[in-house]
Amino acid sequence: MPAKVALKGVRRRGGLFEGIKSNIQALAVGVKYFIDPQRSTLLYPKEYIEHRPGYRGFIVFVKDKCISCAACARICPSAAMKMVRVTEVDPKHPDKPRQKQYPVINYQRCIFCGYCVDICPTEALYHTPFQDVVYESLADMFLTLEAFQVEPTRPSLSEGTPVVYEVDEERGLVKRRR
Amino acid sequence: MIGVVLETLLYIIAYPPLWQVLIVGFAGALLVAMVAIWFERKAAARVQRRIGPYWASPRLGGFMTIVADMIRYVTQQVIIPFTVDRLAFIVTPVAVLVITILPLAFVPLSPHEIYWPVASMEYSLLIALALTTLPPLLTVVLGWASSNKFSVIGSLRESYVITAYELVAILALLAPAAATLSFNIAYIVEAQHPIKWFAILNPLAFLAAFLAILMSTSAFPFEIPESEHEVVAGPYTEYSGILYALNMGGGYIRRFIYAMLVALVFLGGWAPYTPGSGPLTGFIVPSLIVLIKACLIVFAMSFLRSVYGRYRLDQALDAAWRLALPLALLGLGWSIVLAYVNLI
Repeated sequence: MPAKVALKGVRRRGGLFEGIKSNIQALAVGVKYFIDPQRSTLLYPKEYIEHRPGYRGFIVFVKDKCISCAACARICPSAAMKMVRVTEVDPKHPDKPRQKQYPVINYQRCIFCGYCVDICPTEALYHTPFQDVVYESLADMFLTLEAFQVEPTRPSLSEGTPVVYEVDEERGLVKRRR
Repeated sequence: MIGVVLETLLYIIAYPPLWQVLIVGFAGALLVAMVAIWFERKAAARVQRRIGPYWASPRLGGFMTIVADMIRYVTQQVIIPFTVDRLAFIVTPVAVLVITILPLAFVPLSPHEIYWPVASMEYSLLIALALTTLPPLLTVVLGWASSNKFSVIGSLRESYVITAYELVAILALLAPAAATLSFNIAYIVEAQHPIKWFAILNPLAFLAAFLAILMSTSAFPFEIPESEHEVVAGPYTEYSGILYALNMGGGYIRRFIYAMLVALVFLGGWAPYTPGSGPLTGFIVPSLIVLIKACLIVFAMSFLRSVYGRYRLDQALDAAWRLALPLALLGLGWSIVLAYVNLI
């Protein structure tokens, strides 16, 4: 047996006049936006967001500053960063090759939290101010030590214009071209 | 002998109503449906701070997106589930389109009988209105043929909505006939000649007709039968590809035909313009004027999508019986008053 449905009468606020007034108000708002649209869509390849300094984007590694402390690999919450063992030859002591550890990153796992950049004692890691980098395959997202040291190219830079989203007092969130 | 056959064939091919239904009817209705869909998407996007269709053709405002959608519909695989009633499932969408377009044959767009044979026909308004009530019945058949719970619920809702709003639409659209004492559309248009439009003389009936058309064609904010959040796509749940496109296009064409009737009966048809006798001034110009007025009505209806929220079924029915029906009856009464005091 289905439960007995009790339909409560809906109490209306105001009368017919109030209804007509509110309908006209709604239509007026619609017409206002139709005539003067305030679009906030980002036309992505043609426009790109210029992020503020401090944005946590792609991470680049500076090998010369690294002291192989592995603090970045240990702090990484998603285990995206791993240390690899590399055999290096010091020019001062060419007869004694030595083993060093350097971090590499897996962008399939990286969540761009920036802990590795924060914890690095010698600032050997830094953020680029963008995230929109494309790789051809999933395997390419495992960066090798060489690839980790190169700043990636941003695809939208070649044809796009920079755009900033700002909060306006009257219009709300608005898109501005730089 | 061959000459006679050829002559007969030529007569059939060149028969004006055939051309009117084929060219103005199918091609025109298809174009209008596409423009209406495009405008609906662009207008809603403007109001909602988006851009809408854009990348397919930035210079045309993304109109090619609609064309691409149509090509996709035509080339898509048509899936026919084995639980459906096969014959009804396939035949009904085609019948929807054909029957939806039928009222156009009784809508004169020019006062001259040479170009538009229905112009002198009595009862053309009544016949056109009667024919516009047929397609919703096929929507009920669609739901039945699909044998799917969502389809059946959607069809049930459709039947509720049309019972309420078709009545209002017909009463409101017959109000000018009561004022002019004629069912002939061409005569009604001539009666409101320079600027005595019924939308101005009888705004109640006009409002009721507008509201009823909006609801009974399940225009977008009020798409109660096929509301996506509640009943997947209503009667069209099982449809895909070209069959779904026929259903959807049928809805837009139905709205356009209603808009054409409103443009003729309430907005004066070709009224500020006096048709001449040549094919250009007597046929093409008046037809274009009516077409533009009808398009404006369709655009106004599409624009409402971005302003209003969707009504529940009980709210819609409540509005029909408590608000729209009294409005239509008042409009009819006011028309009778107009006829009595000889204002027309």
